[in-house]
Amino acid sequence: ISRMNKDAQMRATINQKLIETGERERLKELLRAKLIECGWKDQLKAHCKDVIKEKGLEHVTVDDLVAEITPKGRALVPDSVKKELLQRIRTFLAQHASL
Amino acid sequence: MKMEDMSLSGLDNSKLEAIAHEIYTDLVEDACLGLCFEVHRAVKCGYFFLDDTDPDSMKDFEIVDQPGVDIFGQVYNQWKNKECVCPNCSRSIAASRFAPHLEKCLGMGRNSSRIANRRIASSNNMNKSESDQEDNDDINDNDWSYGSEKKAKKRKSDKVRGRGSGELLGRGPGRGGCDTGLAAPNAPLSLQNPNSPRRSKALKHKNGEIGGNPDPFKYSNSAGINYETLGPEELRTLLTTQCGVISEHTKKMCTRSLRCPQHTDEQRRSVRVYLLGPSASLPEAEGSVENDSFEVAESQAIMSRLQWDGSSDISPSDSASSKASTNNSESRKTKKKKPHLGLVSGAPGLGSSKKKKPKPPAPHTPSIYDDIN
Repeated sequence: ISRMNKDAQMRATINQKLIETGERERLKELLRAKLIECGWKDQLKAHCKDVIKEKGLEHVTVDDLVAEITPKGRALVPDSVKKELLQRIRTFLAQHASL
Repeated sequence: MKMEDMSLSGLDNSKLEAIAHEIYTDLVEDACLGLCFEVHRAVKCGYFFLDDTDPDSMKDFEIVDQPGVDIFGQVYNQWKNKECVCPNCSRSIAASRFAPHLEKCLGMGRNSSRIANRRIASSNNMNKSESDQEDNDDINDNDWSYGSEKKAKKRKSDKVRGRGSGELLGRGPGRGGCDTGLAAPNAPLSLQNPNSPRRSKALKHKNGEIGGNPDPFKYSNSAGINYETLGPEELRTLLTTQCGVISEHTKKMCTRSLRCPQHTDEQRRSVRVYLLGPSASLPEAEGSVENDSFEVAESQAIMSRLQWDGSSDISPSDSASSKASTNNSESRKTKKKKPHLGLVSGAPGLGSSKKKKPKPPAPHTPSIYDDIN
């Protein structure tokens, strides 16, 4: 449990570091740009339209959308984008390893 | 937290990898969430489906994929084979050539040289002042450079002169090579009419031989004078300074000096008699205009005139004596008939001389020949 606490603490620290250095924002922007570039956003938007037409325009809720979209979104991310992002994260971790 | 506990270096790579993946997953979820919010807001605000086209319009503007037609369904060379009728010349012209044809046909385009054609055509019907305006238009026309305008003018005036004077002086024997492409039959009447003022205008630039003439407007383009239009006083003035012999071919007076080699003195004399009457002053006489006052002088003058009279209509050939004698009897200027017979015999001898005249048998008329000799 202490280990889990340690891990949890570690993760929390790392996250904190990410935010503090602004790296998280940068990573977020980078991901968004890449996803738009590769057409991931348009694909997902078309899927949204189907969902909305299915559910009815007036009755759509955020939860509905989130439930429908997120799993598909995660699956649709191209591998290249995934690899690049992971690489950047590892780099960041390595830089701040001593911290 | 203590820094040592939090040191990442103690962790193995798998842990690091796991952490990295976690971070990555968080980021992707964030992106998805962002998209969901965006779409939800668009739905609720009503602009989510705005960029969609209705199915009817989709059918109308569908991309066309047929041969011979572009993606909009338009044919490429639809008007290639069509023909239009020109309103100006009533000819059937191909559609793609119609615009340039109109340009040339109406004479209004940039490259149409119909401006020159129009100018010539209008000088046919209009008077001199009109054509002055035409020339000014050409001066103002930006497309004409000064050099080409001068050339066009020069060519035109050359053509003007060439047509009328080709025979007389042999100057420019009818240069027809104008760039305006004017065919011979189109030559305006003014160019051929020796009396038209149009010709004289063109020639004023060029003719150097006319210098000193008192009446430039009456000049023909052959540098001769038309005696028909001159009054007696002017004639007299002219004849005292110039040769004045009337050419058979062109009916014009010679403007060369009194000693002009082309004409004989007899010719000059007969011209003066013809133009100014029997009492005409002869070119050499100073004051003896009126011979009627002197009986003797008159008869002698008449006799001497008779000698030269006959050669008035004969070109400078010496063998005119026989004609001269016959003409003497028919001369309209003579008043007395008796002296006719007496002088017939003397005429041949005098008729043969050209430049240097021997002393005439009548001793009373040496004054007449003084200047000539």
